[in-house]
Amino acid sequence: MRLNFREIPDPGQQTIRARPIIDVVVEGLEIAPQACLLDSGATAIRFGGYVAELCGVDLSDAPEKQIAVGGALVTARMAEVGLLVAGGEDAYSWTAPVWFCDPWTPGFGLLGLTGFFDHFEVTIASYEERIELTPISP
Amino acid sequence: MAEKTVIRKATIGGRSFVLRNRDVMRALRNVEPEPIMSHYVVVGLRRFPPKQVISAVTGLDRADFTTHHARRTLMRLGFSAGRHGAMSRASDANAQQAPSASAPERLADRLRPLAGQWVAIKDGDVIHAAESAQALVGWLGRHGQHADSVFRVPDDELAATGLAPL
Repeated sequence: MRLNFREIPDPGQQTIRARPIIDVVVEGLEIAPQACLLDSGATAIRFGGYVAELCGVDLSDAPEKQIAVGGALVTARMAEVGLLVAGGEDAYSWTAPVWFCDPWTPGFGLLGLTGFFDHFEVTIASYEERIELTPISP
Repeated sequence: MAEKTVIRKATIGGRSFVLRNRDVMRALRNVEPEPIMSHYVVVGLRRFPPKQVISAVTGLDRADFTTHHARRTLMRLGFSAGRHGAMSRASDANAQQAPSASAPERLADRLRPLAGQWVAIKDGDVIHAAESAQALVGWLGRHGQHADSVFRVPDDELAATGLAPL
């Protein structure tokens, strides 16, 4: 599956740098795919806590831990959720542990190693501003 | 967006009205934009179907006038108008005044005024913006709309970069 980088504005900057951002349907919420940054520096998939609320994910008994985001501690709670990414004629769905974080300052989700990079062979061709995803069979 | 007060007389649906751009902006302040099917006008950085605006301002039934009549009336009041799917097209009003304004406008540039807001993107265009993710998804559900992507437009460096947690 081949996808293009996404342009989003840089606050306070006139320049625009396209980034490896893709859209992921979480728990079947197809009307609102969540924009997510491909982030090989993150160990896991992380979303804002509001995504769990929107998708009806129950976090009441979820494993919980504190993580640092941008120098601030946030509370992260984990649930196994269904994810789907689509592009062109292709669509891949899989289940992965996702950490839902509060508070959450990024404007999008983060797709990290566990749950994303260990499910796909990922090519990030920054010069051409494209991404290629090939699912990996477990 | 209109800035100075513009007053125009208009006959719509067989009735005469005196319309002010400021009155239009005031009337739409707390009105939720409906989905754009084709044409839109920009009121206070938000896009509305022209018929929704004229109906809200005049109280007329939407069956009493056409989209083009509503669009023309609002453009005479100084509001920019455009067409959904023509994302690279500058507003008709601006294009008449400044040929250079017809240069393609990138989605990222159109997102700048929406910093801090949640946006729904469809076919490379912003179909709705809201103050919260819940409000945005609620609007999508109420209007039977499917976005290609939803996110919050970054308003600071942290929101823009994500700063990966380890």
